[in-house]
Amino acid sequence: MTEGPLIVQSDKTLLLEVDHAQAEACRRAIAPFAELERSPEHIHTYRVTPLALWNARAAGHDAEQVIDTLLLYSRYAVPHSLLVDIAETMSRYGRLELSSSPVHGLVLRTTDVAVLEEVLRSKKIAPLVGARIDPETVAVHASERGQIKQALLRLGWPAEDLAGYVDGEAHPIELDESSWKLRDYQREAAEGFWHGGSGVVVLPCGAGKTMVGAAAMALAQATTLILVTNTVSVHQWRSELLRRTSLTEEEIGEYSGTRKEIRPVTIATYQVMTTKRKGIYAHLDLFDARDWGLIIYDEVHLLPAPIFRFTADIQARRRLGLTATLVREDGHESEVFSLIGPKRYDAPWKDIEAQGWIAPADCVEVRVTLPNDERLSYAVAEPEERYRLAASSQAKTALVESLVRQHPDDHVLVIGQYLDQLADLSEHLDAPLINGATTIKERERLYDAFRSGDVRVLVVSKVANFSIDLPEASVAIQVSGTFGSRQEEAQRLGRVLRPKADGRTAHFYTIVSRDTVDQDFAAHRQRFLAEQGYAYRIVDAEAVLHPPQSPSADTSE
Amino acid sequence: MARMRRDRPRSLAEDLRRRSDDELGALLRARPDLVNPVPADLSALSSRATTTSSVTRALDHLDRFHLQVCEAVAAAGDPTSHAAIQQGIDADPDLVEAALVRLHSLGLLWGDPNDLHLVRGAHDTMGAWPGGLGPACAESRRGVRVYAENPAAVAETLTDAPQAVREIVERMVWESPEGTIARADRPVTIETARSPIEWLLARDLLVPRSNDTVVMPREVALALRSGQLVRDVHTQPPALVVKREHDAALVDRTAAGSAFEFLHLVEALLESWSAAPPAVLRSGGLGVRDLARCVMTLNRDIPTAALVLEVAYATGLIAKNTDTDAVWAPTPAYDAWLTRPDAERWTLLVLHWLNMTRAPSVVGQQPASGTRTNALSDDAESPVAPDVRRATLDVLRESAPGSSVDTDSVLAVAQWRRPRRVSAVRLDLCRSVLTEAAIVGLTALGGLSTTGRALIDVDEHDLNRADARGDGRISPGRAPVPPEVVASIERLLPKPVDHVLLQGDLTAVAPGALDAQVARELSSIADIDSTGGATVYRFSEGSIRRGIDAGFSATDIHHFLSTHSTTPVPQALEYLVDDVARRHGSLRVGVASAYIRCDDETLLSTLLSEPKLAGLRLTRLSASVLVSTSPPDFVIERLVDAGLAPAAESMDGAVVVRPRTAFRTPPRPRPPRLTTEPPTPTGALINAAVRALRAGEDASAARPDSTSDDVTAETVSTVPRASVGDTVDLIDAALISEEPIWIGYVDSAGIASERVVEPLRFEGGFLTAYDHRSGEVRTFALARVTGASAIATASPTSTKRKSR
Repeated sequence: MTEGPLIVQSDKTLLLEVDHAQAEACRRAIAPFAELERSPEHIHTYRVTPLALWNARAAGHDAEQVIDTLLLYSRYAVPHSLLVDIAETMSRYGRLELSSSPVHGLVLRTTDVAVLEEVLRSKKIAPLVGARIDPETVAVHASERGQIKQALLRLGWPAEDLAGYVDGEAHPIELDESSWKLRDYQREAAEGFWHGGSGVVVLPCGAGKTMVGAAAMALAQATTLILVTNTVSVHQWRSELLRRTSLTEEEIGEYSGTRKEIRPVTIATYQVMTTKRKGIYAHLDLFDARDWGLIIYDEVHLLPAPIFRFTADIQARRRLGLTATLVREDGHESEVFSLIGPKRYDAPWKDIEAQGWIAPADCVEVRVTLPNDERLSYAVAEPEERYRLAASSQAKTALVESLVRQHPDDHVLVIGQYLDQLADLSEHLDAPLINGATTIKERERLYDAFRSGDVRVLVVSKVANFSIDLPEASVAIQVSGTFGSRQEEAQRLGRVLRPKADGRTAHFYTIVSRDTVDQDFAAHRQRFLAEQGYAYRIVDAEAVLHPPQSPSADTSE
Repeated sequence: MARMRRDRPRSLAEDLRRRSDDELGALLRARPDLVNPVPADLSALSSRATTTSSVTRALDHLDRFHLQVCEAVAAAGDPTSHAAIQQGIDADPDLVEAALVRLHSLGLLWGDPNDLHLVRGAHDTMGAWPGGLGPACAESRRGVRVYAENPAAVAETLTDAPQAVREIVERMVWESPEGTIARADRPVTIETARSPIEWLLARDLLVPRSNDTVVMPREVALALRSGQLVRDVHTQPPALVVKREHDAALVDRTAAGSAFEFLHLVEALLESWSAAPPAVLRSGGLGVRDLARCVMTLNRDIPTAALVLEVAYATGLIAKNTDTDAVWAPTPAYDAWLTRPDAERWTLLVLHWLNMTRAPSVVGQQPASGTRTNALSDDAESPVAPDVRRATLDVLRESAPGSSVDTDSVLAVAQWRRPRRVSAVRLDLCRSVLTEAAIVGLTALGGLSTTGRALIDVDEHDLNRADARGDGRISPGRAPVPPEVVASIERLLPKPVDHVLLQGDLTAVAPGALDAQVARELSSIADIDSTGGATVYRFSEGSIRRGIDAGFSATDIHHFLSTHSTTPVPQALEYLVDDVARRHGSLRVGVASAYIRCDDETLLSTLLSEPKLAGLRLTRLSASVLVSTSPPDFVIERLVDAGLAPAAESMDGAVVVRPRTAFRTPPRPRPPRLTTEPPTPTGALINAAVRALRAGEDASAARPDSTSDDVTAETVSTVPRASVGDTVDLIDAALISEEPIWIGYVDSAGIASERVVEPLRFEGGFLTAYDHRSGEVRTFALARVTGASAIATASPTSTKRKSR
């Protein structure tokens, strides 16, 4: 009996003991075929899913290797049925192949006629295929490449895509590493993506996903379309690319509400892409405006539905998705994987933190008790009103003030969902407010002031959830959020994770009303980060308002 | 082997008499049916050993080679000799000799090597032509005699035979010496022969046997077979096909993984049944829907679920309870079983699997005739199952440890070993034994594990002895589990641990088989997230509350967590426990029948200390409220007795004025009157009666021969037959005028009568009316009303309403 670091569970999860000597080797060995599900302090949980097994097949691993890995690292005996199941699942991959035939264009070919018969009989597949060329081959319309791949995946017969990618219009792009260095994990991520063809890179907020994008562009050496969440983000990408690569101002175009430039590297917002004019998506043509060699989707977990659909049609182009949190409360994670591509790189947040690339963070949930009048109005409120009432309790204001006072040297972001509450806080704290109504120009001015230190406290709505690079922010106080959204929680923590010059710990406070739905939602929101190993502390408001002795030991770090 | 005597035994009985005690013992051991009951003497033993059933049983246990030798003896004719058989079988003579000796020791052959006989019963099982050899014809046919004397002549004769003739000969040499043809005894000569059969008949290669059959003489066939009595003799079973050689340790580990998994499946299923036991079907099994639920619970396929069920059943872990609404539920033996170490528990399950006369593989199958087989039903009984399991696993044991064996080759060997037992059903069973062995964890990667080998080596008799002692089942509590099997599996199962790792995401991981006591306590304060080699628990508000409900205090939980965790308890978890404990019980619910409230707190205090009121069991809820479990009236009575002046209060707090003693029941109906006297008739009834009498009078006056009530239809002439339309009109009119009418009515017995009735209601084809004659309200079917007429106009001579 080996004392391996891995325990295989009946539900196909793998438990990896991280303190074990072989843990790192084991992690590398199982990463190709298992999804990292949770990575708290002692035992990480991976899950062997059919999708992960097929991705492993696509990456050239066979069932034998997978099984050998499990047997090698497993502490206990692995049930036979699980091994059989793995072999069985993996053998389903590649019975069907999508390939380009010089005569018939895109074709679906099989090594197993029975499988082809089975899938062709499906109602989902029938409209996507053309004429039967011979018993083993059927023609597929080129534009349905994404659709048919998705449909086949759902039927459990994933097709091996051998049709290749178009190279796109070549354009020289070099990384300019004179003043900085690409980090190891960034290089691994970019290379992992490049070898896989298309796919998603998952890195924590603040870990430098833009750099991975730039590195991918340097590998592609081709014209690139970058899709980002908002205009501020467009500008950040632009300045990063100018700083980190050989690209010049003239080569980078901005395609947003105000400017419509199409250049070798074009940065567009999801918003403008999905703007409808007279019922049609006028700007989706941008996808065809140039012969793009690479399309980058920033914050791919936010991919809006029309782009989803359009992405299905451009399967011949290389696609890179970047995200920190591939959790969608609507459960569409798998669609991202099937349309953009499988997960090519994933790093636990705590690993990156240990390497010093993101700041360590102290996550604290502060529980306030609703004053009696609010408790009453909460009790009689309609269910749909309850969260708003609980989340925007007056009791939170004093607490925010107290917390801001306790961090006199930090840059503080106060983040919330409800505009009234934020306006109120902005007034109490005498801090500027940024919300959806704030103009881009004003936003950028305030962000700059914040970065330079002229403004120390900023009250922001959910417009600042993503892609806002505020390296100086080290304290975030969350007063309300979009119900139980796990990725919002993670993104908000991400705002304070940029490593600090003095290596100080970031603080992330969530203020929650005790014994209300606010508390339930908070518990759900925290799951993703808790699973990433962020151990939340829970303290009572009293402890914050009247610190026992010294003003809370952790603030003086 | 019979000892050589000067004179040869003349019967099996005589042969048996000459055998030594050891030889007889061997015979009885090999054929246990002979001692059941013990025969009176050797003649009785001999006659029992030659019965068809006993011989068949003995033959069933023979492998293909021994059966072929047996057939050769039958084919060689009676008596024969060892030498003749060795010559007639194309195989190593030593092996043939050994087989003959074995058959002799089994009592299937008797005599000595030079005078060998096959027992009668065995002969009967070989068919008309053992070995496919026809009758000897040399005596009767000269042509045949030539062939007998010179076998080479047969081949010579056939050298210039046409192709069609050769084909016939080839078939008849081995397969069947007999053929059917019309006018088989027709005279033919070489010159007149037309057909291939005639060609053969003319040359005495075939001989007519009757007027429609021909046979190939034994002499001819033997010449063509070059003396062989049986063909395709294989002294060894077909080779096992080894697909792949694994490391034996790998097979053991993988099998142990399945074993551990199987334990979990049994436990998971029985735990779910502990909460919600499924109903027993009237036919005794488990319903299809309940089986589907098991499949869901276990997240496995139907055969696996059925296997888990049947093994648990055979082990005595589940049974029907005896209530009228019978359910399947875990037995007390299950609780005993739960306390045993994993290795013992598994060994017990597997021993029962090996020996159970149940066939889980038939569950859910639909035989060609009949209904789908239910799990745990009598239809899933299979007496041959244990034999098949052992036979199949015995074959697997032949393979080298670690080798992955091809299923079909296992079946082929099993078939060679017991050819007479082979049937489609048995092959299916055999195949499913291999699947089941993998699920229970005896085999893995197609090979038998070390534990599996140890298990098969356990002497079946030990189990049977244990069985005989108990109630037909090995009692799980004091199970005689073979220690070598337990030891063999124990070292491969996850090590027992008594600690968990607590993590910040509110999970606890037990990295092994958690100590039963710790597991039970932990599962009362946390939910199980995943099981397997380790167990993952998740804490939530609900799970902690459940723990507190079950009697844990926050301190208990903290203590439990810090004692059993090797890692520091996360702050979030501590907070969660405290938070739940803080809120737990902030609302209290109890039982009270009456309350006493009073603004004078001192007065309430005096009540509490008043001895006279002790019987009220007063409890103080707050400064101004006491409660009692006694009803309000009683409380008031006692308070008054104690010299106080209480006032009763209604729901809204108003004082209830209580009139003095005035007990009332709720509204109640009068009791029924039970009287022998008839009720006094009402005026209406009297009126109706009188009118009826009158009408009766009228009727009898109007009818010349109205001497009887009931008259046959033919005689009824008073009430004219009327169409239904007319009748309906008349009845409707009578309903309005409330006048009695005449109707002619034929009752259900076909008796026609006339009645004077007073219509009360008329709907749905039925007339409800007061029948004056019988004095009661009756219902008449309109279809049976032959006609109607008004009383006033009713007369036999009435012409107003003409019938037809």
